[in-house]
Amino acid sequence: MKAYLTYFKLKFITGLQYRAAALAGISTQFFFGFVYIMVYFAFYKSGSGTLPMDMSSLTSYIWLNQAFYALITHFYKDNEIYNMIKTGNISYELIRPKNIFYMWYFKILGQRYSNVLLRSIPIIVVTILLPEPYNLSLPISFNAFILSIISLIIGSLLIIALSTLYPIITLLTMNEKGVVNIFVVIADLLSGIIVPIPFFPPILRKISIFLPFQYISDLPFRIYVGNINIHDGLIGLGIQFIWLFIIILIGYKLMNYNLKRVVVQGG
Amino acid sequence: MKYYFKALALNLKSELEYRTSFIFSFISQIIIFFSYYFVILSLFTKFSNIKGFTLYEVLLCFSIVQFGYSFNEVFARGLDKFDNLIIQGGFDRLLLRPKNIIIQVLYNESDFVKTSRLFHALIILVVAITHLNIKWNIIKIICLLLMMLSAIIIFFSIFLLAASYCFITVQGLEVRNVFTDGGKHMAQYPIGIFSKGFIYFFTFIIPYAFVNYYPLLYILGKSNKTIYAFSPLLLFIYLIPCLIIFYLGVKRYGSVGS
Repeated sequence: MKAYLTYFKLKFITGLQYRAAALAGISTQFFFGFVYIMVYFAFYKSGSGTLPMDMSSLTSYIWLNQAFYALITHFYKDNEIYNMIKTGNISYELIRPKNIFYMWYFKILGQRYSNVLLRSIPIIVVTILLPEPYNLSLPISFNAFILSIISLIIGSLLIIALSTLYPIITLLTMNEKGVVNIFVVIADLLSGIIVPIPFFPPILRKISIFLPFQYISDLPFRIYVGNINIHDGLIGLGIQFIWLFIIILIGYKLMNYNLKRVVVQGG
Repeated sequence: MKYYFKALALNLKSELEYRTSFIFSFISQIIIFFSYYFVILSLFTKFSNIKGFTLYEVLLCFSIVQFGYSFNEVFARGLDKFDNLIIQGGFDRLLLRPKNIIIQVLYNESDFVKTSRLFHALIILVVAITHLNIKWNIIKIICLLLMMLSAIIIFFSIFLLAASYCFITVQGLEVRNVFTDGGKHMAQYPIGIFSKGFIYFFTFIIPYAFVNYYPLLYILGKSNKTIYAFSPLLLFIYLIPCLIIFYLGVKRYGSVGS
């Protein structure tokens, strides 16, 4: 365990060095946040019918998505791992007396946690201070706040399990762009980052119930704004745990399956 | 110009060498593009209009802007990746050749996978037009063509400005994504739906409004002012200072060594 934590620490500290990149990320996130919010404002003003979320919770939902974007998006590529696969340096990884799945898991964990730490805090602080309709509001209650934090942590473990799965699939297909890219886009769509899940067309909403993606960020953020109550939130938390277990199991098994038939071509 | 097309053909040939990779990327681009208008589609299942614009009106605007952007991604990729050219010293090599420097930069790289988006945008354009009840006349057709042309020019100008910036900073700044990617994202909605400050900025500083708003109003019959139909022509004027800035940058360019 200690070895894996060292991987985490190493990546975490390295990630903290990239402050200029974080600044650029923050400005993009702000811009996108404002555009999304204004689009929804325009819809709401001309709107009719029953709305699944009121405007102030929707605004908070959008800002939380933007603040934690670096953590929750599937569009994340650990170039180091992909390069290892391409160049054959993976053989060095294989001679280490540790489990390669957990090694990769903790590397990605460190990287993504440091990325999000640099980006989320400034965004959250500024958006809380923004004037009325544009601001990130405070959590609906103290209990909801605690529950949403716990659920976000499990959600982040879930997305990292998925992010570890992608290079493992690449080991199988030897093509990082193909299947994985298609998978990533669909996963991002279904996790509610682009459109909040309550706004999905009914069919898609039904499909997404049976998939793990809405348990990454949608659940914690909707608990935060009060769109999901504490009782349902606790049930969601249970489902999150189950998915986390399933994805890690799949990743672990697939990795072992791959390692039996991996061929390193010289190098 | 002959060299430009020849170089593009060569680029295409080299990309097609990796056939499976090309096909898979092409398919994944279709899905990525779908995720762009998925927002619009799913929000219109809950709402009937956005400040008076209906689904197909927004899709018309969306497809024109996406068309302009993807056109640049395919045919002016080198400009987008200009920082690489400077950092690796490849720009010095281009300067030695007795041909137009901008055209050389354009064909330095290309990304034909993005033709997927180009076709996709055109399909949506056609779908939107067939669903809209537009009384076509000659001015409206000219207006539509001008919109498509100006969409190409505005992104070209912005890419050019971002590239000129590389002369000063050497490194490409990620912040420019706000104006290219972010700008594209915003311009896929008619600009009138945004708040005042936004509209002013994107009318006078980066004139998206003349690409996707005023001419759109004319085509949809929301306004009768014929001048709106020809407002995309302003983009040609906008292009001039961008070109001048780029050439000024080339003039004071002193290589980065290597």
